[in-house]
Amino acid sequence: MTASPGTGQHPSMDDPRIMLDGQIGQFETVPPYPPRTERESEFYSLRDGEMFLNMGPQHPATHGVLRVVLKINGEQVVDLDPVLGYLHRGVEKLCENSDYHHIISQVDPLEYVSSLFTEWAPVMAFEQLLDVQVPRRAEYIRVLTGELLRISSHILYQGWIALDLGGLTPILYSFIERDEIVEMLAAITGQRMLFNYFRIGGVNGDLNHEFMSRLGDWMSRAAKQHEANIGLLNENEIFVRRMRDIGRLDRTTALRMATSGPNLRSAGVPYDVRRAHPYSVYPELDFDIPVRGTNGGGDSLDRYLLRMDEVRESLKIIDQCLHNMPDGPVMARLPRLLRPRPGRAWAAVEAPRGLYGTYVISDGTDQPFRMKIHDPSFVNMQLVGLLMKGNLIADTMAVMASLDPVMGGIDK
Amino acid sequence: MDRPLRTRLETRFADKLTGPVRQRHDQTEIRIGPGDLIEVMTALHDEPELCFELLADLAGVDTGDHMQVVYHVWSATTPDWLRVIADGLPRDNPRIPSLTGLWPGAEWMERETYDMFGIIFEGNRDLRRIYMPPDYASFPLRKDFYLPDDAARSPGGGVRHMEQTVAPVQATERVVRRTVKA
Amino acid sequence: MTALNRSWGNLTAFGKVILPLLLVVLVVLPVLAVLFLMFVGPWLMDVLNSNLGIVRFVVAIGGVLLFSIPAAFIIIYMELKVIAYMNLRVGPNRVGPGGAAHSLVAGLKVLTKEDFTPSSADVVVFTWAPVLVFLTCVMTFLVIPFGPGLVGQDMNIGVLYLFAVGGMTVVGLLLAGWSSFNKYSLLGGLRSAAQVVSYEIPLTLSVVGLILLAHTMSLNSIAEQQSGWFTNWFVFRQPLGALIFFIAATAEANRTPFDLTEADSEIVAGFATEYSGMRFGFLFFAEYVNVFIVSALITTFFFGAWNAPIDINAIFAMVGIDPITVSLDPGSLGIGLVLLVLSVPVVMTLVFAAPFYLARRSSPAWQSLVLGFLLFNLVAIGGLFMLTYISWDWVAGLVWFMAKAFAFVYVFVWMRGTFPRVRIDHLMGFAWKWLLPAALLNLFITAAAIVVVKSL
Repeated sequence: MTASPGTGQHPSMDDPRIMLDGQIGQFETVPPYPPRTERESEFYSLRDGEMFLNMGPQHPATHGVLRVVLKINGEQVVDLDPVLGYLHRGVEKLCENSDYHHIISQVDPLEYVSSLFTEWAPVMAFEQLLDVQVPRRAEYIRVLTGELLRISSHILYQGWIALDLGGLTPILYSFIERDEIVEMLAAITGQRMLFNYFRIGGVNGDLNHEFMSRLGDWMSRAAKQHEANIGLLNENEIFVRRMRDIGRLDRTTALRMATSGPNLRSAGVPYDVRRAHPYSVYPELDFDIPVRGTNGGGDSLDRYLLRMDEVRESLKIIDQCLHNMPDGPVMARLPRLLRPRPGRAWAAVEAPRGLYGTYVISDGTDQPFRMKIHDPSFVNMQLVGLLMKGNLIADTMAVMASLDPVMGGIDK
Repeated sequence: MDRPLRTRLETRFADKLTGPVRQRHDQTEIRIGPGDLIEVMTALHDEPELCFELLADLAGVDTGDHMQVVYHVWSATTPDWLRVIADGLPRDNPRIPSLTGLWPGAEWMERETYDMFGIIFEGNRDLRRIYMPPDYASFPLRKDFYLPDDAARSPGGGVRHMEQTVAPVQATERVVRRTVKA
Repeated sequence: MTALNRSWGNLTAFGKVILPLLLVVLVVLPVLAVLFLMFVGPWLMDVLNSNLGIVRFVVAIGGVLLFSIPAAFIIIYMELKVIAYMNLRVGPNRVGPGGAAHSLVAGLKVLTKEDFTPSSADVVVFTWAPVLVFLTCVMTFLVIPFGPGLVGQDMNIGVLYLFAVGGMTVVGLLLAGWSSFNKYSLLGGLRSAAQVVSYEIPLTLSVVGLILLAHTMSLNSIAEQQSGWFTNWFVFRQPLGALIFFIAATAEANRTPFDLTEADSEIVAGFATEYSGMRFGFLFFAEYVNVFIVSALITTFFFGAWNAPIDINAIFAMVGIDPITVSLDPGSLGIGLVLLVLSVPVVMTLVFAAPFYLARRSSPAWQSLVLGFLLFNLVAIGGLFMLTYISWDWVAGLVWFMAKAFAFVYVFVWMRGTFPRVRIDHLMGFAWKWLLPAALLNLFITAAAIVVVKSL
């Protein structure tokens, strides 16, 4: 065991010798070294009456392994500092050592709730580097499965929010819906969660009979079921009162904070990658972009209602996909060993949480030189500190849940 | 591919660009030096005919002999993505002004780039590590990062086979594994 | 004999010791008990008769303690199952028939868990706080009338005693939260103190109107005044008071939507975070006993306690039976009694099974017999129930009381499965800005109405 790892200025926080016998019971949330940045010194200095509360990495309600240090004054949260990195897996470094086909299964666990989108952006970037034309049927299948997964993610979001606020029932109903969708996708991809379905140049396999029959069954009652599920929460006085006027995010702040996705749209900015920068076959599909909070910005309730609106739009898209689906191959023919041209490529898709982008630098070999993944939840988490000023501890959960973070993407 | 955008950028930033404006598929790319970053980004953000409001990505790149920071921005005035590459950061002391004055949301993205590459963003109020533990010594995504070397210096101390170095710790020269002209 | 030998061989060493011991105890104990009663019995009865008050007190305490734990078990099981079915899932279904032994096993688990104390906690307070919570919950059982004559201590300040003792729960919760060296517990304890104290006031005020109407603070008398038809129940005379009491009681019992003291999505387990083992068991059971208590209070105050909705005496008078003078004398029937007892079930089963047998399409014949038997059981139980009114009306009263109390427990469980939680400032605002003025309004209107009616 080395004596003083690290820079030598302070002992490592992993060092078990830090917890000496005389210090037991002296836990403090403040790190054991002097603050190194301006923000750190601002945050970790206490005024009269303030206290640190550590919602640690093990917590029933943070969406995964996230540590949030709250500075509270009674019940009011004065400041908030999320500490990340508990789920960091080094995906970007792994991708640098994987060949292009393997990357698709590497990036799946990033947004594990809606993992087809995490595959879609890299695949689009690789197709740019390889100048591959994706068959139209494959594009339609991509849109169809993507929108199904978006619906599943938003319905699950509804359950999560209710669970974080204390209602035990809606999450079970959400999981019923999600189970049906995920079984559908398992019929074509073979997996219920980390699908590994998209390929460079198309998708892995064509739709089959089981998928179509499950989809038909589900679509026949999806709209009504969605309305029923919404009705459980929307009219609940307690739920509405806890979400209204909490975490109001206005247009300028949202754009300055580089937010994207439903969080941006509920702040009044009608920006959706599918319309602003169309990819795949979205130009041919007819759907609206719901926007909320156009005057004064959007609160948590707007963020929730917007995602419920998006589910309806996605149902429309699925309908159109099913009607307009062309025949043809589902994957372009590509060699086994891929060596794209040296260059740079960027591709972005509209994931359920926002703009999911991939920047790839290829150097002509069969492994990318650099692969940068831009995850929307990562940027959206910065909003929590901003939106939480002056609210109560109970609202931390409401705000964090309403921003819909997924720790896999935040921590990469 | 938006040809008028290229002429607009070339005329507006003629003296700042360190390379030609490249366009491929739906992306336009400009290269600038790190010192001009704030001026260029402010111009891109504020000027009404450019109006690049949305910062989509902030990436660090280690090309092997120098470092870059790559920004992707989007504007409603053009159908293209704009990629701004701040090129030419030296590997031993990479510094670049921070974008948090314009886009406060860039703070965490810059923290991540610092954490992975060691690029110092001057002006970022909160430049500490975000993924790795606060006392971590290396920068993982650099091309001279060597995992057994790093793991041997952690408190776990090279317990697992992969973390054991064949050469003494501290004596490993900083070997750059791959270089590219990017 | 070989089957017995084989079974004996299949026993473990432990079993070979325990089983004979058990058999010996089961045989010897009754003999010893009979001998004891024969020889010591009369002297014991003399002693007991001379100290009847103390005996009654001890029996009351014993009954209360022995009742509260099984009641908590039942309520825990109910909560798990009912919420599960509301969530479209099944709930416990492994232990016992339909999972019925689940809470018993959970209680055993809680007994056997490691019972540690955080090293920086205030050990004395940490140890005794759960005891205080449980004790104050159980002490309120003393005044609740479970049936006519089935009340532990019929104090004439019963309501005052109830709220006095129930108000000590907050001390226990606060001590539990503060003594564990944990910020989450501290927050939970403070929240619960604020909540319980705020909702005490509307709780007590909503009952004052009732006391004005009933002219008594004794719960037994309040229950007796609601006899007869269900329109005598106080809920029809004090609807606002009943509503306020219900809401305030939900907050007192720390139930959803007011369960932020144990909001497990924010502050892990609130004041009970550092507790484990039997201490946690105390807190856990205290909560469910509290739920039963508030349900019992609601039924006592507003829904007629042990009275049936219909006026049995009036019906008997209409029919012509005088319940006091009619008596059954089974001894006069002789052997006819045995024949009657044996033949009635058989005959009634066949009678009830006949329609099912004739109407069946494809089910086997024995199923109609089973249905007939079940129907006979229902009818017989109903008949015996009516019969108890003739001789033992306390049984009927107890059954009615339990049914009503558990109906309200079901409503509490139902609310838990449906509502999300309120926030602390919403909760306090609601108590002080809405419930308190409403309770005062109720009080004024009641008092004014009494004065007006009296002067007419």
